[in-house]
Amino acid sequence: MIERHIHCVQTEDPGLEEPAATRARLRHLFPPGAARRLTQLGFLMGSVLDPVKPAEEDGLVYASSYGESRALHEYLASFPMASPTLFQTSIHPSAVQQVLVARQQPVREFFPFGGHAQIVAHAAQAALWSPSPRSILCGGEERTLPPGNSRTASSIGFAFALALSAVAGGSVGSLRLLETADAGGELTLPDFFTALRDRRALDQTAAPGVRLVLAWR
Amino acid sequence: MSNAADSPPVRIEAADCRTPFGDARATCAALRAGRRALALQPVLGAAGGDAVPLAPLPGRALDETAPPAWLPCLDGLVATLPEAPWGDARHPVFVTSSNFGVGSLYAFAHDHDPAHLEFCTPFALVEGLRRRFGWGGNVALLSHACVSAHLGLLLASRALRAGPAERALVFTFDFISPFVTGGFHALKILNPELPAPYAVRPTGSIGLGDGAAFAVLGKAGAGFSLSAQTLHNEMHHFTANRADGTGFAASLEPVADAARGRRLWLKGHGTGTLEAGRLEAEALARLFPGAPLVSWKGGLGHTLGSCGLVELAIALAAMRGGEAPGTVGSAPPCFVDAVATEPFATSAYDGVVLASNAFGGAHATCLLTHD
Repeated sequence: MIERHIHCVQTEDPGLEEPAATRARLRHLFPPGAARRLTQLGFLMGSVLDPVKPAEEDGLVYASSYGESRALHEYLASFPMASPTLFQTSIHPSAVQQVLVARQQPVREFFPFGGHAQIVAHAAQAALWSPSPRSILCGGEERTLPPGNSRTASSIGFAFALALSAVAGGSVGSLRLLETADAGGELTLPDFFTALRDRRALDQTAAPGVRLVLAWR
Repeated sequence: MSNAADSPPVRIEAADCRTPFGDARATCAALRAGRRALALQPVLGAAGGDAVPLAPLPGRALDETAPPAWLPCLDGLVATLPEAPWGDARHPVFVTSSNFGVGSLYAFAHDHDPAHLEFCTPFALVEGLRRRFGWGGNVALLSHACVSAHLGLLLASRALRAGPAERALVFTFDFISPFVTGGFHALKILNPELPAPYAVRPTGSIGLGDGAAFAVLGKAGAGFSLSAQTLHNEMHHFTANRADGTGFAASLEPVADAARGRRLWLKGHGTGTLEAGRLEAEALARLFPGAPLVSWKGGLGHTLGSCGLVELAIALAAMRGGEAPGTVGSAPPCFVDAVATEPFATSAYDGVVLASNAFGGAHATCLLTHD
């Protein structure tokens, strides 16, 4: 069994909010030059990471099933004159990179996960295996409705960030991973996000052999 | 966390790769002979464009088919895996890639064939691969551009040390498409020049190639171990490094500490860009004085998220075969004297430092040693 205590939890629940509205709501968090280039997911991740304040020695773990889906589709639309900016922005972990580059904040370890049914279990493992005194588990999606291929994007936007440490004092909850004989199991990002937003406990098999327990004080 | 490399050592039970030259042994032999898989081809495949250095698998077109034409390459690689119930609780799989099936997304955007959709997202593609290969559901996906494979190696090592894993499989691939060739061309670093890593010349250039590889990490090894692993993310600029080279040093210094007293050679990232190549070469020469430095991307092209493990498999083949390929495509003058442009015997060395870099100033380094 491995366990870390939750010292800060942040969520963003914009639901069906359009990118322009997200930008107007959250641009105050960034320098003007940086805010101009941020994606919707970049703004959302910036909002949840701002109070957590990632530091160089933190173990940073990011999970997103679809990543920069809006930039991906805008980049595809730019061909045959491919946009270099959208190409850079479309890479999977770009949302967190946008935030940290804007803040000029290096981090030693950064583990960006894709995946779907077991993504939460695997990202949580990485956060709990980190040798850093503090690890940050964050994730999210931006809302995109690409015509004709809704299977390649999320229909809702959300983001979350948890600051985790081995210190129990002052914590608001805990995240534990236990071994289980159950060979199945899944926990998707939207379901994990909802539990965090609602401060709802979880105790379920989240991947083969991995039981995830989220508890609140 | 202290600024120390991840240790203790983790044994490598097996590793191999696929490049346009074949498996790791064939690729190592081709590079030792100074061969280039790169050839000038239209940057946008069937849509044309400038001729740039690309190295897809033999006979594979840049434009994606449905199903992707590279699937048989992965089938062949998987057929060489050691037997294990991969994907169960004690045999986790870490699949890493920069692009996964994004070539299928590009193809869908152009021909609207819905058959591409099952390969477009990382999780849909890997779910299909998982079923194809008969793996269980314990398959993690990591994507951090060109250091992706290193992340898989580090997490697999931690799964063995801290988790319930008995053996762990790291499986990586990247197959080029107009999506990625068009992007690097737009950044102007994929141009008509063939890459010459670490060479002093007026214009930098890279090539891009197909690559896939695996490593099985476990408690029983086959003569080699990952003795130290580090990461560092500058977060200074999306496509540029800090001009003082401190990002390179932050990743390399812990490995240099862990390697003290060893006789080493160095396999750098060395894509062929000028500024990053100079910063990397200078940092390596300062921290590992006298150690010969090579890059193989002048022969294979940059295999993107797979490069860290593709090149590790080639390094293993070089250590086992007794001779390492030189820096194919480069000739003096180079940024540092340590750049080896010709093959050299590995018998005088007991380890190799393997480094990769990526967008966002991401760095990853590992130390491969004899047991």
